[in-house]
This record gives sequence, structure tokens and C-alpha cells, in this order.
Amino acid sequence: MDRRNFICLLSRSLVTAALWPRLGQAADAKDKRPIQFTFAQVKYRGGDWNPHPLAVTPLMEELMLRTSVEAATARREVSLTDRDLFSYPFLYITGKYEFEPFSQDEIDVLRRFVSYGGFLLIDDALGQAGYGFDKAMRREMLRVLPGSEFKRLPSGHAALRSYYLMRRIGGVRMVNSFLEGINVGNSTPVIYCQNDLGGAWERDQLGKWTNPCTPGGEEQRRDAFHLGINLILYAMTENYKDDLIHVPFIRKRLTR
Amino acid sequence: MKDFYLIGNLPGWVIGLAVLGVVALLAQQFISLKRRLAIGPSTFLVLLRTCVYSVLIFFLFGPAIVENRVARLRPPLTVLIDTSESMAFPASPKPMPEGKPGKSRIDLVKEKLLDGKESLIHKLSRDYDLRLYRLGTSLEPISPDSVGQLKATDQGSRILELLQVAAKEAPPQSALLIFSDGITNGDKKTLDGSPALPIPVFAVDVGETEGFTDARIADLRAPEFAFRGREFKVDLTIQASGLKGKTIPVYFNRGKNLITSRTMNVDADPFEQKITLSFTPRDLGPHSFNVAIPNQPGEQITGNNQKEFKVDVQRDKIRVLTLSGSPAWNYRFLRMALKQDPLIELVSFVFLRTPTDSVDVPENQLSLIPFPIDDIFLEELKNFDVVVFDDFSHRAYFNPVYLDRVKEFVRDGGGLVMFGGSRAFDAGGYADSSLKEVLPVELDGKGSYQTQATLRPVLTASGKAHPVTRLLPDPKANEEAWNKMPPLTAFNRVRAARGETLLTAGDGTADNAPLLTVGRFGKGRTLALMSDEAWRWNFIAVGNRETPQNHLKLIRQAVRWLAQEPSFEQVQIRPIPLSRPGEKVAIKLRVLKDDFTPTAQASVQLRVMGPDGDPVIVSTTADSEEGEYTGDFTPTKDGSYRVEAEASLAGKSLGKDKTSFSVAFPYGETDDGRPRPELLKKIAETSHGAFFSIHDWNEKTFDQMKAKLESQAPSQIVERRQTRLWSTLWPFALVLVLLGVEWWMRRTWGLI
Repeated sequence: MDRRNFICLLSRSLVTAALWPRLGQAADAKDKRPIQFTFAQVKYRGGDWNPHPLAVTPLMEELMLRTSVEAATARREVSLTDRDLFSYPFLYITGKYEFEPFSQDEIDVLRRFVSYGGFLLIDDALGQAGYGFDKAMRREMLRVLPGSEFKRLPSGHAALRSYYLMRRIGGVRMVNSFLEGINVGNSTPVIYCQNDLGGAWERDQLGKWTNPCTPGGEEQRRDAFHLGINLILYAMTENYKDDLIHVPFIRKRLTR
Repeated sequence: MKDFYLIGNLPGWVIGLAVLGVVALLAQQFISLKRRLAIGPSTFLVLLRTCVYSVLIFFLFGPAIVENRVARLRPPLTVLIDTSESMAFPASPKPMPEGKPGKSRIDLVKEKLLDGKESLIHKLSRDYDLRLYRLGTSLEPISPDSVGQLKATDQGSRILELLQVAAKEAPPQSALLIFSDGITNGDKKTLDGSPALPIPVFAVDVGETEGFTDARIADLRAPEFAFRGREFKVDLTIQASGLKGKTIPVYFNRGKNLITSRTMNVDADPFEQKITLSFTPRDLGPHSFNVAIPNQPGEQITGNNQKEFKVDVQRDKIRVLTLSGSPAWNYRFLRMALKQDPLIELVSFVFLRTPTDSVDVPENQLSLIPFPIDDIFLEELKNFDVVVFDDFSHRAYFNPVYLDRVKEFVRDGGGLVMFGGSRAFDAGGYADSSLKEVLPVELDGKGSYQTQATLRPVLTASGKAHPVTRLLPDPKANEEAWNKMPPLTAFNRVRAARGETLLTAGDGTADNAPLLTVGRFGKGRTLALMSDEAWRWNFIAVGNRETPQNHLKLIRQAVRWLAQEPSFEQVQIRPIPLSRPGEKVAIKLRVLKDDFTPTAQASVQLRVMGPDGDPVIVSTTADSEEGEYTGDFTPTKDGSYRVEAEASLAGKSLGKDKTSFSVAFPYGETDDGRPRPELLKKIAETSHGAFFSIHDWNEKTFDQMKAKLESQAPSQIVERRQTRLWSTLWPFALVLVLLGVEWWMRRTWGLI
């Protein structure tokens, strides 16, 4: 950590500590504004559904800072059998370890969810292909959408252009330099990242990054935030950036 | 002339034996008499008996009288006179002295048939077993006396088909004589493939091809419908006769407005050229076009210088522009509904970033594009059918003056939707904008956007019948579908509805505020949905294991209604088929009230504009309680007719509709008046008849035709009548007299 980062972190910690009650009030006030987006995280049985409990708020703050989306700063924890699951068309599921298979009812719900307009972001916090969470999640998705396999998203996919023009993705560790996804029609309602995005987003209560990002450091973390924002906007606008009106602008910017 | 013949067929030896027998018998009689009488009386009696036997022997030879009678016959002849409309054209292209109009072709035929000391028709009637017909689209028998009253009024001439009919009905060894200009427009245009005519045809050509002057639009191929904003092409075939060396202009008009023109250099005679004209329509609906060639000097037929046609301009897709204030689930599911609809083309702008949002990368690393305000509001707006303000406020992005263009857009027939949200209606500052009077709700700046509510959509009486909220055809099932719709949690409260409220927000209190209202502004339509949570009717329904189709259908029906798709109109004129002049046309239309229930009490104004442009008011009557009305109209001439209907109820307009229909003769008889002697020649040749020009028709040609007919069917026959003498009375009387005299002598001489 260089001197500049240290001073920055220190001053932020001091301010956070001094204004904590006010920040709480501010958060309340913000929650009273019309919320357009709620980050819903799936709870499941077995394994570890919550490896980064503080990951969401920094991402939501970043989302509101950078975009016009008004979001709930706190995440919503839901299980696949919750009655109000479909009030949250964006679902985030993460973990490190293998978990219990979903019940048939949960499978049916998840199938309806991704088939009719919902979006599921899968984030592997372990980053071990074929082990733990990765193994369990791929197994369950085969049950949700039989015959559909995860495919590598092309670099020009709308999810990588929905806000930032992303040439690379971030995360705590660079297990893959690409995203995978399952297509339903013209859309990709399931996107899988094995780089532990949540770990890159997470800050402790003092505002300190919980996990270092390797090997790219803060630039890699910034990419993780950008990817998080892009995926949320992709969920809310689908293939909007593939519309003809955007194509020449994006092409022009990418060739610069 | 009578001749005597022996026609008996008994063999000679039989007759010889009979003679010998008679001689022997007479000898025996003489010997027997000699014994009783003197030689004189005996000889006398034997002589008498000899006479009797001689008569009988004579009849064994079969004496007979043969009489030959010569009888003259009138051979059958069928005469066909072409009375199609083309026969009203001038027979000769040469101008008449003193500028008098030249004789028509039919007049020339009548002159040839009726003029002279002894008219041809009289001669034909005298010399032939005459069957006379007028020939048009069918054969109609006429009397020779009615030839003078013939007029060229038939709408077509099916020469080749009707020659076959006439030949079939004619007796054998007869002939057909046809007077025609050779123009045929039935199903068959040439002799190819036609069965050979069984009797000869004498064809008399009427009309001259030499010096014939005409410019015509021979063929026109235009699409029946075209898409707005897309070029359509019209292929023309222009033909000209007698105009070599001249330049002919061709004008392409929409109604009376010139679209484009083209000139052609006529470098041959006859001349034919194919050209293609094009036009890009901008307005929806049926439009009448015409292509015209100005009348040329010396032209005999001018009615074929123009052709009218109708093109129904449709939208290939309903173009929808959405402006969303930010990424939101409402946009996500609205987009899904619109993108899945093949009839809709979506152009959307989502404001991903507000001016107060900061970015951490250079602009070129963002996918954001500048919102093309001027392009959209000043140039492109007219190319859209529906504009959607989806939780969008203009305040942060552009000058309110651009909203004036949206107001004009709606006034001119566009559709406007405003979806609720924290940036919509009063919350979006529209109470102070020019859209205040356009929207179907009243804005006073005090309306609020409320969250944390639980509101169920409740169908109003209007909503139950309105095409936007009629999700299912059965009213009960439709109401149940709406009752099952998931509740909304956010709502824009407005002061009141100005248009028809289709849904109210049911929150358990008596004060059900408008949730979905529709209205009209100018020629356009408006819709306001006071919530940004319509997406819940889709996705929450999916979670409840209900169908998302109700939301998708609501969106699609709303877009169609706003875009004024014909099936969503309150006044709808039913398609009118192609008609003929003089035939009654039943113009049917359907009228629905504002709540889209049918009404039989509407006041309907129906106007029909003919090719001349003069409007005719057609009275209508309600056929049933189902909102069906009918007006009868009889077109008098061919061409394109425009129909406009407007209905009102209790002084309030329910809407308008317009369409057009074509009236035409099915044969195109007058399209090309050039005589076709070549066809008549071929008919005469293949049937072993003869071809004549009417100008060459005289006594000689009449005799020529007669001789030809004579050679095929002789006009006299000899009748032979044979009478056997045996079958007459006098031989019997002669024998009886001879035997009587013998008996009397025998009695006198005491032999009996």
C-alpha cells in the first residue's frame, strides 16, 4: 500500500466512524426513494451460501454513483421457495463449497425464473473448476435447463457492453478471463463468473477491502465493479446495447 | 317428268311358262266353246279371255311410272355481328370531310347489311336458312328486322369461344359469317390449342389498321399494397400506333397531384416500350394513383390513355420509440413484450446515467451514446407510430420546447404513452409542459408518486369492452384474468382522468383512482398507465404459476390501438370487392361506441366519390344490434371510387374510416381499339372459309361466298317418285270389265 492509498483509507475510516449514525439515517432516507433495483442473493442448503456478507453494499453504492439506477443498498436474502422471489428479477448465487441438491420444486421455480425474464448471476468464490461450488452449480443448472450447457460469452456480448465497454473481466482471482452463460432465445439469463466477484466487491465495516485482488490488484477490482454494474444493467435492459442505433457508436469507440 | 318403266323382277322362264300355260288354256277354251257355239261367238269369247290373260301377263313384267322432281334448298347460314364496345370506334382513321365524325364500325356493318335496293340481309334471308346473332360476351339471337337498331354496347367480345358455340349449334354443311373488328378478350386470345371449327367461317373485317393512331397504356402492374416509407414500383407497357417520330409524355399522378413524368421517343410503328415508375408513400391508407398519356393528335381512342389503380399503404411494422428515464424492470419487460412481437419495431433510449452521476473511466470506455435530441424530435419523430415516455422526465435532458413536437406528433395521428414512475406525470414536471393537454389525465402539479401501496387493477365498464384491456374474448374470463393480476406497489396519483378510464387502482378504499386511461388528441391517441410496475403483471404472475401472456397482450394491444391499427378502429368499412358499372354495391361498415360495444343508434355519414370526384351521400341503415350498417350505391362508370364514413353518437364523433374500391368492366374491351384482321384471317383460313374486308364487300364477294358455299353444300336435289301400275285401280277395272263383258255374252248366248 502506498502512502497515498494509506492516507485515503485512513481519512475514509475516520469519516465513516464519525458519521456512522448519520450514514445510517442517510441509508434509511435513500431506501425511502423509489427503489428500482434490489440485489437478491439466494440462500441454499449445505455449503456456504454467504462467503462475502458485505459484498453487495459497495457494489450498490457504486451502481448508484455511476448510473441512473436507484438501488437498495442492502441485499435481499431469498430462498428459491420464497413467495416473493419473483419480485426480484435479479438473483445472485455464490458459494465456495458443494451444496445440497435443490429440491424438485426449487428446480421448477428456477427454471420458470430464468425462462420468463429473470436473471441469475453465479459467482464461484472458490475458483476451483470441477470442485466445490462449481461442481454443485453446474450439476444443478443441468437440472434446471436440461440440455443447455454453459458457453463462453463472446467478447462482443451485450453484457460486456451494457454500460462499460469491457475488454477484460475482474474478480479476486483470475481463474477465467471470460464469462460463461446459458442462452435462452436471444438472451443470456444465466451468467457464470469463476473469479469470485463478491470477494472483490466486499469491504469490511471500516471500508477496507476484505480481499486483495490478484494478480491485477486494484485495477482488477475496478474491473470486478464494472462487471457487476454491467451485469445488473444487462439484466435490466437485456440486449439493449445490441440495438442497431448503438452499434456504430460502440464500434467506433472500440476501434480507438 | 314422268317415264314408264318395267320394273318387274320375275325370271323370264316363269313368265314364259305362264304364257305357255295361258296359250294352252285359251286353246282348250276355244275347243270347248266350238262345240257349243258357232265359230264367230267362240272366237269373240276367246279373244275377250285372251285380253284378260294378256293384261295379267303384262303385269308380271312390273309396269311402273317413275317421276323425277328437282327441289331447290335454302342452305343454313349463321351470321354473327360483333356488337362489343370496340365496334363503336371509328371504322376508318381517315378524317371525314367537314370535320364530321367518321362512321363507327357497327354503323358500317349496318350500312353494308341494310343499304341498297335489295339489302344484303334480305338476300341472305331469301337465299339461306338464316340464323342471326349479335356477338358480345354471349350470343343473342336477333331478327333481321332488328339489325338497324344494333348498338355497340357489349362489354367484351369472346369471339373464339362463341364461334365454337355457334359452330356446334349450326346444322351440318352450314357456314358462319361474322362481321367483326377481330378484337377478342375472352379467355382465349389466339387459336392455339382451340379445336378446329367444323364448318367454314366467312370473316368480314371491320375497321382499318392502316393509319390507325393510338397511344395506350397496354399493361400496368402495381402492387395492391405497399409499405409506408418504402418505395413501390409500377411496371407499365406503353403501346403506340401511327405515332412514329413523335414524343409521348407519361404522367404518374396520385389523385390530381403529379408525382413524376417520363417521355418516350416513338421510333417504330407499332411501338411498344416497358417502363418502371416508382413512388415512396408516406401516408397510410388506400390511395388512388393514375398513369396518363395526353391525347395525341389524330388519336381515335383516348379512353385507353390512362389507367387508375389503388394501392393500400400499410405500415410494415409499428414503429415504437421508448424513452426510459433509467434502466428498470418495467423497461426490461416492456422491451420483451415489444421485441417478441413481429409487427413491432422498437427503437429505445434508456438514460443509463443522469448528469449528476460521475464516471470513473474516460467517456470512450463507456457504451453510452449521446441522445440525438434534434434528430429524434425534429426529424425522425414522424416516422414513428407510437412514442412511450417510460418513467422519463424531459427536465434533465432537453428543453420543453421539444415536447411541442411530441404534441404535434400526436395531433397529427401519432400515439403517446406515459408510464408512471418518479419521473412521470406531475412528478416529472409535465403539469407545466405542452403535454399537459395531450395526456388523458389531468395534471395540476400536485400529484404524487407513491410506493409501498398494494393496488389491484380493477376493470371499469369501459375497460371491460375496450380492445386494450380485453385480454380474453369472454367478458367473464377477461374479468377473472384481471382479478388474478398481481398487485402493484407503486402508483402515480393524478388529479383526475380526462379520457376513458379502463382500470382503476383498487386499494380497498372507495376512492379508486385512475390507473389506466386512454384518450384522443387531434388525430392521435394517448394512454396513461399510472405505475411503473406493470412488469409485475408479467413476472410475478409467472412466480404465481400464472401466464405472463396477459401482460404481453396488454402491451401489444395498447400499441396497436395507439397506432390505430384498422382492427382497433371504432368505425370500420368492410372491404368492398371489385364491382361493375351499373351493379349495386353494398357498402358495409361496423360502428362501435367509445367503450367498444356495438351501437345501432349511431348517426353514420357515408360519402362516395367517383372518378370525377363528385361526392354522393349514401344513406345507411343499421342491419342489427351488432353495429353493422349498410349503404347501397350503384356506380355508373368504371374507375376508382373513394368511400368515407364518419359515425357519431349523441353529437360525439366515434371515428372515421375510408377506403376505396374499383369499378371496371372485366374484359377491357376498349383498352386497345386496333382492329385485328390477322385473327379473322386465320380463323377463315383454318376453317376453310374466306376472309373479306368490309370495304371490299360487294355483289361479287357475296357471289363468291355463295359459290364457295355451293361447292360445299349443293343447293338442289332430285326427288324420284315411282308408281307401280299394279297398285293403281285401272288394271283391276280393265280386267273386271273384260270378264264382265265375257260373262254377259255367255249369258246372252245361253251358255250360263
